[in-house]
Amino acid sequence: MSIKIRSRRLDGYIEVKVLISHPMENGRNRDANGELIPAHFIEQLVVKLNGQNVLSSHMAGSVSKNPFFTFRLKSGEAGDKIAVTWMDNRQISDSAEHLLDE
Amino acid sequence: MPSSRRLFLKKTGTLAAGALLAGVSAKALAIEHTQYFAAGDFAASYARLFAGQTIIDSDLLEMSLPDIAEDGAVVPITISSDLDDVERLYLFADKNPTPLVAEFELTPLVSTYLTARIKLAESCNVILIARRGDQLLRRSRWVKVVHGGCGVG
Repeated sequence: MSIKIRSRRLDGYIEVKVLISHPMENGRNRDANGELIPAHFIEQLVVKLNGQNVLSSHMAGSVSKNPFFTFRLKSGEAGDKIAVTWMDNRQISDSAEHLLDE
Repeated sequence: MPSSRRLFLKKTGTLAAGALLAGVSAKALAIEHTQYFAAGDFAASYARLFAGQTIIDSDLLEMSLPDIAEDGAVVPITISSDLDDVERLYLFADKNPTPLVAEFELTPLVSTYLTARIKLAESCNVILIARRGDQLLRRSRWVKVVHGGCGVG
């Protein structure tokens, strides 16, 4: 599992935090032997609430390693399902789900 | 069992068509992505998205970043606005080899609020553009980067 999702209910909104394990290599770094490390970064991130798009993002190698995002849902009921999916430049993808608390 | 064979063919046919469609849209997306997130200078990247469009500097967009970033590999950023109808956000770092850092598409289900961690290759302007309908708003911040260095961004 490369994705961790946390949520908490605050005054008037629900704060959602998403942490993804990913190298986000931009293809310009070199390893210990001086060899270029091939580009490997997330290109697309999609967040859904009960199957409906709420937020999506396109990105590349200028986002830090192990991307961490916070956003705010305007409303949500206990048991509502948040689903996060990413896809990278090697067509690898992963997704995770999280249920909102009371 | 001809009927099950037919069913099998029908199902695999549908699957193949689905895979083809998915393949096509993924490819189209990849082309667009490669274009917008191409390495190159900031002016070209900016022009590809906003050439010929009026952009208004606005302090209705708020962007919080450290004035001095010790480590350019991990710079926290918070974007927020009381404007409720922002559809898209574009974030640039004008000295990064890949100047477009990220593009976000918001829906009415979320507030105009985001935090992220970005790379800054060197001291630069971080530029946020928000699209609301046909209006484009801009907010910029200068960030001094202590350790940026090769490969970052």
